[in-house]
Amino acid sequence: MAEFQALQTATAEWKPHQIAKAGDIASMAKAAGDLAEVVKETLSLASAGMEVVKLLAQLQNINPLLIALDALADEVLIAIQNIKEAGFWYLYVDPYFIRNVAASPAFTYGFEQLRNPAGDRLWLAKDTQPPPLGTGEFKQTTTTPTQAQLDEQEVIPHLATPRKMVAGGYNPYAGSGVADPLASASPYPKFSVQQVIGEFTKAFDDEGDVPRYRRVGGAPKAGVVVYDKDGNSYSGWDPVKEFGLDLYDIGKAQEDGSIIKDYKAARKPVNSKISPGKPNILGSTSYVGGSGAIAIIIAAPDFEIFAETFDKFSKMFTDIPEFAATTGKGLLDSLNEVLTPANTVIKLTQVDSNYDLFEVGDIIGGQIYGGLTKVLEVNADSVVVSTMTTQKEVMATDDAGNILRYVTTINPNEDERWVDMEIVGKPIRSVDGLNPFITGDTVYEMEQRGTRTDGTPNYVIYGQDTVGAPPSLRKYPKVGKVSMEKLAVLPDSTPPDFGGIQIKEIIPGWGEFFQTLENFVKQLKGMISDSSAFIQDMIDMIKGIEAFLQYLIDAIVEFLEFFQITLPSTGVYALYLPNQSGGNDGIKSQLSGAGGIPDLAYAAGILFVATEGDVFIAGGGSKNPIDLLALVLGLL
Amino acid sequence: MAHPTGKWAEAEIRRDDIKDLMEKTKKLATMYSDLLAIKRGGWENVLRAQLKKEAKEKEKQNG
Repeated sequence: MAEFQALQTATAEWKPHQIAKAGDIASMAKAAGDLAEVVKETLSLASAGMEVVKLLAQLQNINPLLIALDALADEVLIAIQNIKEAGFWYLYVDPYFIRNVAASPAFTYGFEQLRNPAGDRLWLAKDTQPPPLGTGEFKQTTTTPTQAQLDEQEVIPHLATPRKMVAGGYNPYAGSGVADPLASASPYPKFSVQQVIGEFTKAFDDEGDVPRYRRVGGAPKAGVVVYDKDGNSYSGWDPVKEFGLDLYDIGKAQEDGSIIKDYKAARKPVNSKISPGKPNILGSTSYVGGSGAIAIIIAAPDFEIFAETFDKFSKMFTDIPEFAATTGKGLLDSLNEVLTPANTVIKLTQVDSNYDLFEVGDIIGGQIYGGLTKVLEVNADSVVVSTMTTQKEVMATDDAGNILRYVTTINPNEDERWVDMEIVGKPIRSVDGLNPFITGDTVYEMEQRGTRTDGTPNYVIYGQDTVGAPPSLRKYPKVGKVSMEKLAVLPDSTPPDFGGIQIKEIIPGWGEFFQTLENFVKQLKGMISDSSAFIQDMIDMIKGIEAFLQYLIDAIVEFLEFFQITLPSTGVYALYLPNQSGGNDGIKSQLSGAGGIPDLAYAAGILFVATEGDVFIAGGGSKNPIDLLALVLGLL
Repeated sequence: MAHPTGKWAEAEIRRDDIKDLMEKTKKLATMYSDLLAIKRGGWENVLRAQLKKEAKEKEKQNG
């Protein structure tokens, strides 16, 4: 039991994060920083170099440009510094893509109940009028009974014959039995907004989720005094144990033997982080101090809308490792697999031509295993008479009256009633998922009877509500047997739909560019010749860099178009908890108490938490990076 | 309008940090291109002068 509960426990974990320090955005920020550094270095070398060779009278006039460039390069570096210095913890709750929490199936099993063509459930109501008016017989009705009528068995569900357990069937134990299970059954597992918020608050309670640090090679012996990052000393160091904060040695003395002047430069870490733990200050998770949070929840009542919004969100936050798409499969592709499964080829045998052959547009379903598919194509060449053989004992009497018995092989399909055929089908998701067609299962033609909560059709075997009717009124479905199922073709790929550009497509060329710039700087440094050949090289190189800078500018323009788009507000909910003095408990309490969000069925979310530091950041009036994050996300 | 604090609300999430960085980088690249164009012009002048000087010297040597 304990193990099972452990499996059910959410695995959403706190992780440390610095904006733009992971994924493609990190590469981009680094590239921008490199450009700024190279430009700064080139500028100083440029003026010096040009003066030496007394070549560029123009440079005298471009000093203001050089100064402005230098200032701009500084601004780029500061912007990078700001977004890199802001450190956060984040908790990502995702039941659909990474699946670090378990979504619940949105159905229960029950006996299949007959429905009329409009999808209304059929009931059998007892004629309870006293004789001679009443007969005591059960008559079919679509009027939904009361719970009392069901309990008294005055009304009973009209169940399919033979009885069949189906997802979303009649189940008197789930709910009252009166409510239509199809009204709440959905083919997509549900994880509601309140469950996401529950995960957010639960994560603060995990006693074991504390930061852990383990010794590194060369760590001092047990008992040696060690120091935290601010230089405070600690006794009790033991290299075998794990500690809750990063620790350092005292550092080497200065070369001249004097006392250590810069302990930060002189020291070496004695341990390194192996798990970040929940938000903490110097390892203490029960701190009482400044902390703030931003929670973002993507939620929708409809799975398709949820998937679309979630995908856009993931593209905007590719600096979060979970969204870095290193798996090669995008989030929407992954969700699309749920929405649009790959087509399959199903080989059928013994399709009974007495009840017609399957055609394009038919919906067919497996009787036992529940496979469901729409026939997209019937392979004309594949329609052949089924080879059927069986053995029969034959008796013959000779003239002497002796009876001879022998076994002969016969073809029961001589009249070619049964045929084989191969169809291409588009699988349909049942409430309990995508079910395969298993060899040997009987396949029937299906018809729609009602819809599920997401508006998709509910299919039942054609004519099953006429099973008890006289033969003349019966409707018989087309029928066959599964011979084999195989995957046919992959579904169409989903083109990028968010500005039509992927950040990672921009990045690769940048490395080459900075290499060129670096060489350029090196050449300027080593400029000792003013020969014609050297000057020509220099001109060619400048032309190359100019061309590349143009490419870079074009790429940035495209990139900016991508980021000009804000996430649509529909389906994206944010909660901003500015810096407050209650530590983790304060955030947890505000998270649980905040209102204003509907409890939608499909949801995922991310929670950023930051603690107050010692210095003001980003030149602003706050010491908590959460306020910087609120600013850049457009919440301030 | 600022997002309400302490209360859930629908939000149009942006990434102004990335936009700001990219806009500055773009400006830097544009201005640096301008500087390089000036430099290239200068070096081209130098090259022309150099070639002229070499041609003159050659002429002088040939008498």
